[in-house]
Amino acid sequence: MSCLVAFGIAGGLWLAAAIAAIAGSRSRAGLLVCAALSAAGGAATVSGGIATLLAGDTRLISPGGTEVVGSLQLQGSSLAGIFAVLLGIVAVAIGLYIPRYHQKMSGGTAVYLCAYNLALIASLAVLAAGGVVTFLVAWESMALLCYLLILRNPRSRPVAAGAFWFLALSEVGFVLIVAAFAILAVKTQSLQFAVIAARIHRVPADWRDTAYLLALCGFGFKAGLVPLHVWLPAAHPVAPADGSAFLSGLIVKLGVYGIALFAFRLLPDGPAWRGILTMGIGALTAAVGILYALAERDIKRFLAFSTVENIGIIVTAFGAAMTFLAYGQRALWAFLLLAGLYHVLNHGCYKTLLFLEAGVTEHAAGSRDMDRLGGLARRMPRAGVIAFVGTLGIAALPPLNGFVSEWLIFQGLFQGFRTHSHLVGILIVVAAATLGLTGGLAIYAFVRGYGIPYLGMPRTRQAAVATERAQPVTGPALLAVVCVALAVGAPVLLVAMARAVRTVTGIGLRPILLPGELTVIPAHTDFSGFSPTYLTVFLLAVLIVPALIYRAGRIRGQSATVPVWDGGIVAFKPRMQYSAMTFSAPTRVTFAAFYRPAVSLERASDDPAGRSGPVHYETAATPVFERYLYQPVIRAVEWLADLVRPLQSGDVNLYLLYVFVAVLVAYLVAAV
Amino acid sequence: MTASDATQAGAADEIAASATALNRRVAALFGRSLHIRTLDTGSCAACEQEIRLLAAPHYDLQRLGFFFTPAPRHADLLLVTGPMLRAFALAARKTYQAMPEPKLVVATGACALGGVYQPDAFSYGSVDQVLPVDVWIPGCPPSPLALLHGLMVAVDRLAAGVGSMSFSAGGE
Amino acid sequence: MPQWFLTGLRRGVVTTHYPARREPAADDLPTPPAFRPEQLSQDRALRLAEVCPSAALAIADGDLVFDVGKCTACGRCRQAVPEAVTASGGFELATGRRQDLVKRIPILASTAR
Repeated sequence: MSCLVAFGIAGGLWLAAAIAAIAGSRSRAGLLVCAALSAAGGAATVSGGIATLLAGDTRLISPGGTEVVGSLQLQGSSLAGIFAVLLGIVAVAIGLYIPRYHQKMSGGTAVYLCAYNLALIASLAVLAAGGVVTFLVAWESMALLCYLLILRNPRSRPVAAGAFWFLALSEVGFVLIVAAFAILAVKTQSLQFAVIAARIHRVPADWRDTAYLLALCGFGFKAGLVPLHVWLPAAHPVAPADGSAFLSGLIVKLGVYGIALFAFRLLPDGPAWRGILTMGIGALTAAVGILYALAERDIKRFLAFSTVENIGIIVTAFGAAMTFLAYGQRALWAFLLLAGLYHVLNHGCYKTLLFLEAGVTEHAAGSRDMDRLGGLARRMPRAGVIAFVGTLGIAALPPLNGFVSEWLIFQGLFQGFRTHSHLVGILIVVAAATLGLTGGLAIYAFVRGYGIPYLGMPRTRQAAVATERAQPVTGPALLAVVCVALAVGAPVLLVAMARAVRTVTGIGLRPILLPGELTVIPAHTDFSGFSPTYLTVFLLAVLIVPALIYRAGRIRGQSATVPVWDGGIVAFKPRMQYSAMTFSAPTRVTFAAFYRPAVSLERASDDPAGRSGPVHYETAATPVFERYLYQPVIRAVEWLADLVRPLQSGDVNLYLLYVFVAVLVAYLVAAV
Repeated sequence: MTASDATQAGAADEIAASATALNRRVAALFGRSLHIRTLDTGSCAACEQEIRLLAAPHYDLQRLGFFFTPAPRHADLLLVTGPMLRAFALAARKTYQAMPEPKLVVATGACALGGVYQPDAFSYGSVDQVLPVDVWIPGCPPSPLALLHGLMVAVDRLAAGVGSMSFSAGGE
Repeated sequence: MPQWFLTGLRRGVVTTHYPARREPAADDLPTPPAFRPEQLSQDRALRLAEVCPSAALAIADGDLVFDVGKCTACGRCRQAVPEAVTASGGFELATGRRQDLVKRIPILASTAR
């Protein structure tokens, strides 16, 4: 019960923040109050989420009514617990970030912050929903409020397009989600999740599969599964940094929550093909996401595609879990659910951090384009360190949290042979190999994503004078600390999550997973094990050894400090460095069949090289999904609409005729 | 000679003796394995052709313990050719600075020793205007045998005999 | 690759044994000149100093100063005054002291040719 109380407090605080935003419009005090209340609400959510993890599913409460359609049905469920913790962390970090990022409270900012806080409430309601109607209402409100979030900046073509893509795909997804829920609700005669889950055997198998597929697609639109992801790169760059952070850090996770809800709570036992399909879509999403990320110069678009990649990893884990269950490996089922949820939390933390830092960079150096930045780590040391922690996390390098969660997922996938089916085992290994490819490309992509803007020499005047004075630092710094804590304290966190997973799946993982104090044994005792905590300690200790060797063995005597050997160059110029696109050129050449680059080359004349005047060279990856999937669908819809338009003639007499015909038909049908 | 002079002379002898001992040790080390970095300060590349031949099977400097390296950080000896163009002086100094102690500089070819080109607006005329040279190898270009001899002189494995050559025929 | 191996087997070891043994091929190398002091009159010395393109020859204090380091072994001095110039035959000219490369050859003091 206590978690719902905490959620209620959080909701109240966020409502107060929304009111403060509108009431305090055009005053700095209003901005600060709103941000403080927002952060406080986040803290309350974190505590509620942790309580849910530890305590298990609560009773369903229906404040304000009976089981009439339209009443609020709230339940703190273990599955939602980890998402609630993430929501809280993101809210706290963004709350701390808002004052310095938005600087002044203008009318637009006031509306934006009001919409943001209401979106927080809506997200929390999605997570705390215990019934179908509550869920759907909260979901749709969240989508509409996020649409307002994206539209914050002055109206321009890309902003309008980005917001529209978000809304349009959200609505299409919503239709599918409604259909999925409708099937289940009708067949089980109930609107409450717990009851549906208990009565699921009443639903025939093919309806169950249909519901699952509808849910996968519907929630896939929000989560960003390929090819339903196209709103992510359109919407993320145009929203303010904290809005993008909120979208990537939390909103896409709500899509993942929806998939997990259907896959693990409502429709757990299913045929193997469901799991394999999910796993395949996840692996494909991961690979496509990171490949597109490597072709992006805009930091926010790059991060958006990286989000797609990580969602792919999480969904692969869920799909593999479902496959294992279909083959009777219940422990692995629970374990991969645990690993996937852990990755949700980790990715939420470091992706939010990276988006917030992208916002800092944009304000400090004036551009989101990597090729206009450079050398920022020297000009903005704090931002450099914080962004580095986030980059280590997302590139899954030890000892940070990204490494631990991806390692757990890989360990789970490596158990594919335990299904005792050759085909399925091979498919799982192929999925693991795809994730391996993705991991390697992710490291490459984030060396680029951190190295080009932060290291090297500044490529433009603005980057050379960038300063982090008056830039927000507390929010991102908090997230960096959280990332490290999630890694070092992974065993502790996994204990809490194992309890949550036990509530969802009925499998107690603790004895297998954490036999020792701080060592994690994934999946099976005789396979592998390591301790994230000891690894961190070891890595820190290893750093001391060279220092000691140096102190003991260095030459005591005269030494000269000379410049770094640079090949005898007279002076370095920024244009000698790698640019974002040249650094990723090997990948773009190797995967040219995937990118299908469109190259345009124009010369002023055909004179030999050097005298032909300016040359214009442009290359762009073909937007495969937009061009070959969405445009045809859009054109088909428009064609259909044109076909149907004559019905809406505007003639009142025709409309009356329609009414008459409809009533006539209704009488005839009822009579028969 | 006064007592203090004697002491000073004695101290100077000691320093000279320990310097020679140090040189011997360095030479012994270098004699076993010496890494050479070549530096072209503006030559016609004839010297470079001869230097390249050192690595060929006919002369094979590796049998004597010499090796070429492109990185000055790994080099013990800097083999310099060319008349030290002014435009190159910065790069030459940077290369020399990048080499760790102990290090040697060998100037080779008539250009590097001050011949062919006189100091003018474009060149210093000789390498020792910019770098401290330890061994000079004359020639235009010096044959690989002369280069081998010069390298052995640099590491004290052969004695430099040109001082006692008089270059006048019919008299010694 | 096999071609190289077989050729190598036929030809044997071609690496020189220098500096352990004398290298006969060194006899064909072009070398800096040696001067005959008994043939070196003032005029001839002046002519030699004029004709050297590398400024290796100069006159100072009644001596012909020959800087071996600057010599390119081009042979113009020998072409100009063949009586006074001959090959020195030495190729082992490296030294750690630059002044060891500066040689003084006395010029004949008499005015008679």
